[in-house]
Amino acid sequence: MSPRLFLHIMSVEARTKMSYRVDFWINAVVGFLASFGLMVFVWSAVFRESGEVRIGGYDLPTMLFYFVAVILYGKLVRGPQLQGAVSSDIYEGGLNRYLVFPTSYFLFKYAQNLGSLLPALMQLFLFGIWFLFLLDLPPDVELSPLTVLMGLVSVAAANLLYFVLLFPLQCAAFWADNVWSLSVALRFVSGLLGGFLLPLSVFPEWSREILVWLPFRFLYDFPVNVSLGKIGVLEWLAGLGLTLAWAAVIGLVGRAVWKRGELQYSGIGI
Amino acid sequence: MGRYLRLYGYFLRFSFSKALQFRLDFYFRVGMDAIWYGVNLAFFGVLFQHTGALGGWNYDQVLVFICGVFLSDALHMTVFANNMWWFPFLVNHGDLDYYLVRPVSSLFFLSVRDFAANSFLNLLLAVGILVWAIARYPQPFDAASLVVYVALLLVGVFLHYVLSLLFLIPVFWLHSAHGLREIYFSFDRFTSRPHGIYRGWMGRVLTSILPFALIVSYPTSVLFDGVTWQVVVHVLAATLGVFLFMLWLWRRGLRAYASASS
Repeated sequence: MSPRLFLHIMSVEARTKMSYRVDFWINAVVGFLASFGLMVFVWSAVFRESGEVRIGGYDLPTMLFYFVAVILYGKLVRGPQLQGAVSSDIYEGGLNRYLVFPTSYFLFKYAQNLGSLLPALMQLFLFGIWFLFLLDLPPDVELSPLTVLMGLVSVAAANLLYFVLLFPLQCAAFWADNVWSLSVALRFVSGLLGGFLLPLSVFPEWSREILVWLPFRFLYDFPVNVSLGKIGVLEWLAGLGLTLAWAAVIGLVGRAVWKRGELQYSGIGI
Repeated sequence: MGRYLRLYGYFLRFSFSKALQFRLDFYFRVGMDAIWYGVNLAFFGVLFQHTGALGGWNYDQVLVFICGVFLSDALHMTVFANNMWWFPFLVNHGDLDYYLVRPVSSLFFLSVRDFAANSFLNLLLAVGILVWAIARYPQPFDAASLVVYVALLLVGVFLHYVLSLLFLIPVFWLHSAHGLREIYFSFDRFTSRPHGIYRGWMGRVLTSILPFALIVSYPTSVLFDGVTWQVVVHVLAATLGVFLFMLWLWRRGLRAYASASS
């Protein structure tokens, strides 16, 4: 696929997503405040009732900063509403038109996925700037233009990783009559094991040794800690390399599943 | 009443025969919910590695609470959730006409018509987990507390349904449900944490105007603090208040409904 076509698909998808302005603001304001508010209540209670000053290497302000970042980054990593796009194409027979396009279906969907991130990207900047002015930066957080840039690159890699994790699950639609549950299950598992629900450093030691060997930590915990300045440049480069390596391996699995599924596809939908 | 029960019997029969045609989806849903249960148990398990209490409850108490959340959610998913999902589409496509011309309550018909038989196994799973959590609790609960707990939990399930519909009814005027669903799901998350953690004005909002904290957390408190008329009256009064408001809004919505001809 030519870069020009890729950018055009992204741009069309971004414009489509931005046309729902009321939804954008509701999603941005209420969704963010409710998610963050819940974390404030939970972690304030944990710190208050445990009497601890530091949990998993975070004091309360840094912990709350972690959740500001993870909620905003999370929307970018998962992307909105594209979870069902591949399976819908299979079920409704819409895949037919993509199969005759002189371009890769995977890249087409990935370009759409990137374009759909524009609302989440705007929310990141709006709330990120607002929080920086509103809250005093905790002493543990070393935010700088470099860490923000490194964090954003990590988020882009995390989005690719999530996309390739989701792709083979969506391709299960070639055989199964409904794959919505699989996408939701991925969201649950990655939320816990990736650091969306809890920073991974608060997990028990034995479980952290297992989590190191899984790809999920690169989805949330890694990009957020990069942005908070908790990860140095060399460690970041190694982490970024591992994220892309995981994406490549899982992408190959997705490709194999797609190839097998294509043989099943009847073209008339289900 | 007998007519409604007979009608519901037909709904169940249709739903089970439909679910049996999509067996893989049936297994996927069981797996998905089992994962959700596991994720929540792990979440509180990890939190209690660092604290002895959360919202005034210890680990055993929170375990009973979260298993109550599983049961409440499973009941909602099985009985109401599919119907709530389709409601905005019915309004926007004018398909609500089909429900309005039936010789039964249109609200009843559209709220319970689609019984999610593929979530039914999860309901049994959730009951099993709750029984396990209650059985492993260090002190036995007295029978009165257990009866009131189960009764309030069922009231909580009804409250959950009323709240979910309340957030969808504005679709009669707004014609888009996406933002409304987002607000509902955002607030619904407050159901799955103990009400003791909510402080200040937000705590008051979550137990009165938007009583998400009453769905499971308040019913669970009767197991640990004993049955008090304040808790029972609070849950019942809030449920009745929200239900009456929902009915009022529903009637206003029907008046604004433009039907298929719009």
